[in-house]
Amino acid sequence: MRVPERYYDEIFNFAGQWDMPSACGLKIINKNDKTYVIVTELYQDNPGTSVTYAAESLFHQVCEAKGLKGDIVYIECNPDTNSKLSFYDEEYFEVTFEEGNPPKYRQLDSMEIQSILN
Amino acid sequence: MKLKLIYPKWKKLPGQTTFNLPPHGPVVFAATLPEYVDVSFTDENVEEIDWDEECDVVAISMMLTTQVKRGWAIADKYRAKGIPVMFGGISTMLHAEETLQHADSIFLGESEGRQEQVFQDLQDGKLKKVYNYMGKQPPIELVGPARRDLYKRELYNHKGVQMVDLYHASRGCRFSCYPCAVSYLGGRCFRPRPIDKAIADLESIDNNRLFIVDNSLAQNKQWEMDLFREMIPLKKKWISHTIEDDPEVLDLAAQAGAWYVYQAVYDTSDYIKERVKRYHDYGIGVEGTILFGLDNQTEDDILRLIDFLLKIDLDLAEFTILAPFPHTKAYDDLMRQGRIFDHDWDHYNAGQVVYQPKHMSPERLQELYEYAWKAFYQDETQEEKMFKLFTQVMLREMEDGTYRPRNRKLANKTFGKEVDRSKSHFNEF
Repeated sequence: MRVPERYYDEIFNFAGQWDMPSACGLKIINKNDKTYVIVTELYQDNPGTSVTYAAESLFHQVCEAKGLKGDIVYIECNPDTNSKLSFYDEEYFEVTFEEGNPPKYRQLDSMEIQSILN
Repeated sequence: MKLKLIYPKWKKLPGQTTFNLPPHGPVVFAATLPEYVDVSFTDENVEEIDWDEECDVVAISMMLTTQVKRGWAIADKYRAKGIPVMFGGISTMLHAEETLQHADSIFLGESEGRQEQVFQDLQDGKLKKVYNYMGKQPPIELVGPARRDLYKRELYNHKGVQMVDLYHASRGCRFSCYPCAVSYLGGRCFRPRPIDKAIADLESIDNNRLFIVDNSLAQNKQWEMDLFREMIPLKKKWISHTIEDDPEVLDLAAQAGAWYVYQAVYDTSDYIKERVKRYHDYGIGVEGTILFGLDNQTEDDILRLIDFLLKIDLDLAEFTILAPFPHTKAYDDLMRQGRIFDHDWDHYNAGQVVYQPKHMSPERLQELYEYAWKAFYQDETQEEKMFKLFTQVMLREMEDGTYRPRNRKLANKTFGKEVDRSKSHFNEF
């Protein structure tokens, strides 16, 4: 269940839950005065916490490491891993964080994600 | 130093035969303690906690999510008496943040080589709130024989028949299965124990019947075959999860005493049917494990699956409902979609729907789960089917001279309590 490299530009190592060494795919796209941060779950190549569980902590770690500020759109990607199981189909979610509340997720349709990626 | 080690009870699923097996985690942990620690072990599933027993510290070992609330309640009671409480085990790792609220200390990760420091800190009055070894697995060679001497053996006995002992030959898992958190807990790398260590542990077990609890032995074929080869002279009989689907491996497994295996049945394909047949060809029984509630299952799929099970000659079947445990992909997906409606950990018992299924109502999924149990065991009860499997193992033991007759002194006891003969049929062996 390897994640194809087309999903990311680099592997981003982060401190997961309880500081577990963790890794995700990372793609940063600057477009239309916005910064799109796409973190991709690596499944078997992520030794620690999932990007979804890490959520806001991962967002802050990416921003800090990459010096990102301003209008940031944070997106989680479940990549297509060529699995026969539908749970491993490709999905993108825009994630927003509100203090004191769980993250909010909005699934992006293929048009939306294509407009960001292309 | 006196340590009281407790394994909290949990509510068993209704309508199913309850077997209390001697728990593995606590005795594996106990084996890692410094020699000066005097351990007294209580498995609350088979005996009451003696709250007045003197101890310097309480350690609570939790494996299941359905144990955590009880574990926390026990801790609160001891801490109110001024006795420090520490937590460890799989569920402590999965529910660490909440457990921390009820603990003087939590231990996250694997215990080997680390308890000297913990107990030194305790004696120095410097016990840390968290011992965090997540993702830092100790060398697998350090895993030694478990402290099975701590079991009160007569409590793991049903009508004179000793329950199987649990045993592990490896840790970690290279697979990342949808409903499973093992790769988060034990690392995404299969870590087989050295064969000589694994065999020494096996030899130390005063029980001819075992449950090898490793997630899947089918992760390193050469090691798996070497292990089976070395197990042959021990003449143990054992249950395990999946074995490599290879004639040479299956043959060695059978020679090594494979009694029956848990095999996931996830579709109605000929592959599954043939897989079950191949096990049977080598004299290995099969308990199908069937998970309901995945997003790719409709009502019709589940009903077809139940029909299929009745036709493929399974020896036993165990049905479960998807439970989105933390640190699984199932949890991530359902949480992201806002579909988890029940956050009471007592309900995460794999027999209760705690989320909105994709293709049916929660109530309908619950009905189908209950129907599956009834349909599969309609003509022959779970106990009757178990008795058949039991007969097979008894005959094999008689052939190789390892059969131990049941303990007549315990014939009227079931897990330490008097047998209620009006309720059970599983009393013939």
